[in-house]
Amino acid sequence: MAQSDPKKCGKMTVFRSDRHEDVAAMVFVTLVVVTVLVYMAYIVPTITLKAPSDGKIVSVAAVADTEVKKGDLLYTIEVKEKKYKDGKLEEKLVVKEIHAKTNGKVLSVSAKEGDEVKKDKQALLVLDHEKGTLP
Amino acid sequence: MEEKQGVAKVVSIIPGLAVMVLTLYVLRIFVEPWMTDAVVFGQKGWFVKVLHLNYILLAIITGMLYRNVLFGGKIPEWAEEGFRTTRLFIKSGVIMLGSLYTIQSLAKVGGIAIGLIMTFVFGTILFVMWFGKRVGMERSMIGVMGAAAGVCGVSACIATSPAVRAKPADVALAIATVLGFGIMTMFISPFIGHALQLTDYQFGAWVGTGILNSGQVLATCLAYNPTIAPGTAVAYGEIWNVVRVISIPFVVFFITMWYWRAEAEAECITLGGIIKDKFPVFVIGFFGMTALSSLGMLGAEGSSTLKLMREVMSWIFGLGLIGQGAYIDIREIKAAGGKPLQVGLAAGVLKYVIALIVIMLFVSKEASF
Amino acid sequence: MRILLALDDSTRSMDEALRLAHDRGAELSALFVLDTGWSVYTGHDFLLGSHARGTFLDYARDDELAQEKATAAELQNRAQAAGVDCQLKTAAAGRVPEAILAELKTGGYDLLVMSHPFRRGLEVMRDAATQVLKGADCDVLLVKR
Repeated sequence: MAQSDPKKCGKMTVFRSDRHEDVAAMVFVTLVVVTVLVYMAYIVPTITLKAPSDGKIVSVAAVADTEVKKGDLLYTIEVKEKKYKDGKLEEKLVVKEIHAKTNGKVLSVSAKEGDEVKKDKQALLVLDHEKGTLP
Repeated sequence: MEEKQGVAKVVSIIPGLAVMVLTLYVLRIFVEPWMTDAVVFGQKGWFVKVLHLNYILLAIITGMLYRNVLFGGKIPEWAEEGFRTTRLFIKSGVIMLGSLYTIQSLAKVGGIAIGLIMTFVFGTILFVMWFGKRVGMERSMIGVMGAAAGVCGVSACIATSPAVRAKPADVALAIATVLGFGIMTMFISPFIGHALQLTDYQFGAWVGTGILNSGQVLATCLAYNPTIAPGTAVAYGEIWNVVRVISIPFVVFFITMWYWRAEAEAECITLGGIIKDKFPVFVIGFFGMTALSSLGMLGAEGSSTLKLMREVMSWIFGLGLIGQGAYIDIREIKAAGGKPLQVGLAAGVLKYVIALIVIMLFVSKEASF
Repeated sequence: MRILLALDDSTRSMDEALRLAHDRGAELSALFVLDTGWSVYTGHDFLLGSHARGTFLDYARDDELAQEKATAAELQNRAQAAGVDCQLKTAAAGRVPEAILAELKTGGYDLLVMSHPFRRGLEVMRDAATQVLKGADCDVLLVKR
């Protein structure tokens, strides 16, 4: 065995290199989750709400420069909901209420009654949330 | 291929990782929006509406192009360490997917998933044992193919083969078979799903049961519907996946017992030992995330926090899937052949079709959560 | 004249190399390449607990080492029977053809003998001969199985 002994030169240790990967993944996820939570709770300056799905604004309850409490109604939106009934697809128009997720203050309202909105496109409301809560 | 340590190791990851990040950025920020608006054959958004392309499929395809065309069949050394992080990303993504469920919803759908999967897992294993014997495959390879076709494809191959003393060269061919079948099903399943108008729930249940290699279950679900949220294909498919992953040690135990029956060595094999050796620890992380979301510690459903979390998840998956694509070598898969191919194809197609029929007949369109 | 024999499980290529070395009075070296590419080949698989992966990779390595031993013994028997002196070398590489080409480059060989299709490690999936032909700057004898 003249040239090289792979058992000694360490080349074969490639085999053993990923034993702790599962733990590494868990540590990585913990870091990501903590970063997202801390960012949303303490760092993000304002929250811009967009439509959760395509639809039409039915009413706007939020008023600019007022405080809102967790659970307060912000606006209502009419969306098409697909439901299966007896194996058949039915499309129904339903009005969904969007509530505040945390205490905070409404900074501005750009949504108007009757607006047609696209999912995640236009900004509807801008909120400032109480620090330490998850908006 | 010297093993690097510490800082050198981290630095060696950067080039490959940078390629993956940059690729995903270009795909998501430029290519995907362009595809949505592009007019081909007189139809706006033809790529999306007809080909059902989205950033997930694009990520995998681009990865495959890197490996097979740009790099000429082998990931170059400068990029290798970086591309190796793909497993870390996908594992992390899977752990984070745990946040889509609550304990109650897992319990509801989990029951159906466990029932369906166990039936199919052991049904397939028995089929492979019977069919493998008919075509005269070696006993050790019957064990490996049984595990591969029954549970998780490549993972099950790897987990079983040391226990049944299968020749690594044969295992390599079995892996190529499983991978080839998985890639095929990954690209055709979304078309079949759209053609049959399967709901996300049915689609997730079907591919979760029917696709051989679990690596591709996730990608297929995301390809069908790239939204990451409760009630989407990936949310259902992943429950199926997790049940499959958890069942690996049990299947390995079952096959090992079958292989070594009536031989002295069987005495030292215990279920406990196999679970300890083979249990995928990251599943604990998955349930940890479910626990956190059940306690409401990750924000309320519909909140901006969860939205950001899912956005991050989609980037993590995208990165991982580029790497996954780059590990697919078409030439190696084409080299698959012989008895593993026969048995794998027979078992794979059978499972895929029967699973579809069962799901269309017996699984409701809408999930209970 | 210097001949390099790239070893796999083919005994025909061994015999052919020994015959050539004997007939031409050439100096014969044999190279056994351990395939360390298993980690990369199974690299996409994220579902396994890493311990199961590690176990498999150890198992594949042990198999490689066992094959090395068996092949060396086989070659020694045949060399003795043929009355030819043969120097055995071992190398490890992610891709077997790379190690063969590296040896060709440093060893100053005139002829490479290998079986075709070449079955060493993961090369069962690949076309080793084409890769070697692309890089080799000496004569190459491909021995059919």
